Amino acid sequence: MRQGLFAVFLLALFAIAAPAAALDSKEIYQLNQDRVVQVRVLNRETGKKSSIGSGFIVGDGRQIATNYHVISQIVLEPELFYISYISNDGTEGELTLAALDVAHDLALLSAEQTLGDAIQMSPLPPRGAPIFAMGNPLDLGLSIAVGTNGGILNQTDDSRILFSGSLNPGMSGGPTFNEFGAAIGINVATARNDISFIVPSRFLTELIERSTAERYADNVDLKAEVARQVIAYENRYIEQLLASDWQELNLRQFQLPGVISPTVRCWDNSAKLNAVARYKRYQIRCANQNHVYLDADNHFVGRLSYEYYWLESDELNPVQFYNLYESLNKDQIETKPGREIVSNFNCETWFIEVSTQEMKSNLCRREYLDYPGMSDVLFTAALTGHADRGFFMTLIMTGVDFDSALPLIQKFLEETEWTP
Amino acid sequence: MDSLILEISARGLDRYEPVKFGTTTIGRALDNDIILSDPTVAPHHLQIVQHSDQSIELTNLAEINPTQVDRQPIDTSVIGTLPVTIEIGRVQLRLLARDHAVAATRPLAASRSNRHPFGHAYWALILVLICLLVSGTDFFLNSYNTFKWSDLLKYLLRETILTIGGFVLALSILERLLVNRWEIRQMLTSVCLIYLLFTAAMFLANNLDYLLSASWPSTLLHFGWYLLIVPGAITLYLVHISHLPRNRSLMLALLIASPIAMPSILQSSQMQLLLDNFSPAAKYHSNLSYMNWHLRKRVDIDSFIEQARQLEAGEAAD
Repeated sequence: MRQGLFAVFLLALFAIAAPAAALDSKEIYQLNQDRVVQVRVLNRETGKKSSIGSGFIVGDGRQIATNYHVISQIVLEPELFYISYISNDGTEGELTLAALDVAHDLALLSAEQTLGDAIQMSPLPPRGAPIFAMGNPLDLGLSIAVGTNGGILNQTDDSRILFSGSLNPGMSGGPTFNEFGAAIGINVATARNDISFIVPSRFLTELIERSTAERYADNVDLKAEVARQVIAYENRYIEQLLASDWQELNLRQFQLPGVISPTVRCWDNSAKLNAVARYKRYQIRCANQNHVYLDADNHFVGRLSYEYYWLESDELNPVQFYNLYESLNKDQIETKPGREIVSNFNCETWFIEVSTQEMKSNLCRREYLDYPGMSDVLFTAALTGHADRGFFMTLIMTGVDFDSALPLIQKFLEETEWTP
Repeated sequence: MDSLILEISARGLDRYEPVKFGTTTIGRALDNDIILSDPTVAPHHLQIVQHSDQSIELTNLAEINPTQVDRQPIDTSVIGTLPVTIEIGRVQLRLLARDHAVAATRPLAASRSNRHPFGHAYWALILVLICLLVSGTDFFLNSYNTFKWSDLLKYLLRETILTIGGFVLALSILERLLVNRWEIRQMLTSVCLIYLLFTAAMFLANNLDYLLSASWPSTLLHFGWYLLIVPGAITLYLVHISHLPRNRSLMLALLIASPIAMPSILQSSQMQLLLDNFSPAAKYHSNLSYMNWHLRKRVDIDSFIEQARQLEAGEAAD
């Protein structure tokens, strides 16, 4: 009798201690098919879908997590559009917007009734572990994609996981599961060719925890809220940049800020010159990867890019050289939003002394009309006073608070050194 | 001897007919004393009678397009003083006394001294060579690759020879239609002078832009060139070379300059901004100068940042 009891005790201990068995994709699908929905933004006038994505039940069972970019039209035209869901079994219902995390492209939606059991969150599994992304690709029905965890990408400010699986349009906002059926992230983007990106679940957990209301009040200006969040994120980002030690790079006679953050990548961008060119030019371009989706019109802000351009010639006379130099001095922000989105640029010119050299500099600023306090900034500086060499520096920041951007420009200039 | 002269203006040209003592009829029919072929003139339109007491009586004979004297329609009118302006149909007449003063003789450009640009033929040649030299220099100063004569020749042909030649030909044809004369040499001199003036003005404006760190000098030049200088130059040409009256020359100059000016003005970035009120591109002062002469003071980084804080965003488009 005692031996029997002891055997039962050992079995129970083993059952508790033994890890849960890993599930395959079929099992994960079956486990979660009733907890993953299609999220739709519909036009009240036409009754038709304007955008679609995926979502899943979280929190208290009445909340749906999805991407901000799936429902961003609500921010632009809250009177015209509304959000709804459709479950795998065909159940439909309306959803309201409860919380946003624009910087991480997350949104929390609320239903009036409980929708089902919430999906549990889990930390990221080890790199290389299989993970499974569920969603509604191309409005074709619920599906699951299998891939592996490629790890957190530090160039995205740790806000993206590399997923070596195939996400398709329509799967945005859906969950990505570990082998045990817990959500480790939210589908967000794809670069095709089995390169896709997931938002780590910890950001969603934080959003759920700080969400205090079931929905945004009707009088809340959602655009102002989006602007506030984006600017707060960009300000934190700039503070981190200012506080960190910047790597240096050398470009002929200049020592310059190189990679200033793990979010930044630099590469050679020198144009190939033909054999008859009588000058040399070298170009380095650096840009960050942690852009922020703003809305369906503007797409992305939070861009930080800087470019260095060195030009020299011992064959051209000074007039020829400066004609060439001037013809190359024309950098612009690549995105071209329309008149209803941004104001015109306003530019001013200064001659600044930078490390004993004079630079003709231009600072340009425009603002976003619907997002208070948000600006695009373009700064250029061109070396003057040398007959046979020239240098440009261009710094571009989009969707930032202007006053917060200036210290970054200042640090760039202070970290620029001329070597005679 | 007839004491009156009738000045007849039609299609920009004046001709003069003596008005005989007694009765003179004017009209389109071939039995008139003075025949005008314009279809708006009636077969028998106007009768002029010179009386022995020196009075002059005008009688309208037309039912359609009645005669007007000093813009007033008449049946019969006795003229007080000369000259008097008469309109029959769309033909403008002036009745003049035979001793009416004429304008001073204007010398032909060809008869001016050899030192005058419009004097001798070699001036046109010299100016063409100067234009080619200036254009070639411009090509050279904007060439950053190994120099090739074939590239220079193509450039000169395209940018200078064909451009100047095209303008000379077009304007000469226009002049031929207006004054019934070919003035190729003078036209060539004029076009070359305008080309050189434009080149010099652009050079000056670009350097002023840099000196002042502003764009208004080149903007002012651009608009002033097409709205004032080109019509002004054409007017001067028509007055002094084609010998047309000033008012007519000005009107013709505006007419000729418009198809040149309007596309250039409308396509300029400054006008685009005025018309459209929005540009997604940042319009900053990107010009650079080897001489680096500028009136703006050099500032240190801290001062720059302090001043930069005052920078406001641009205006929203309407």
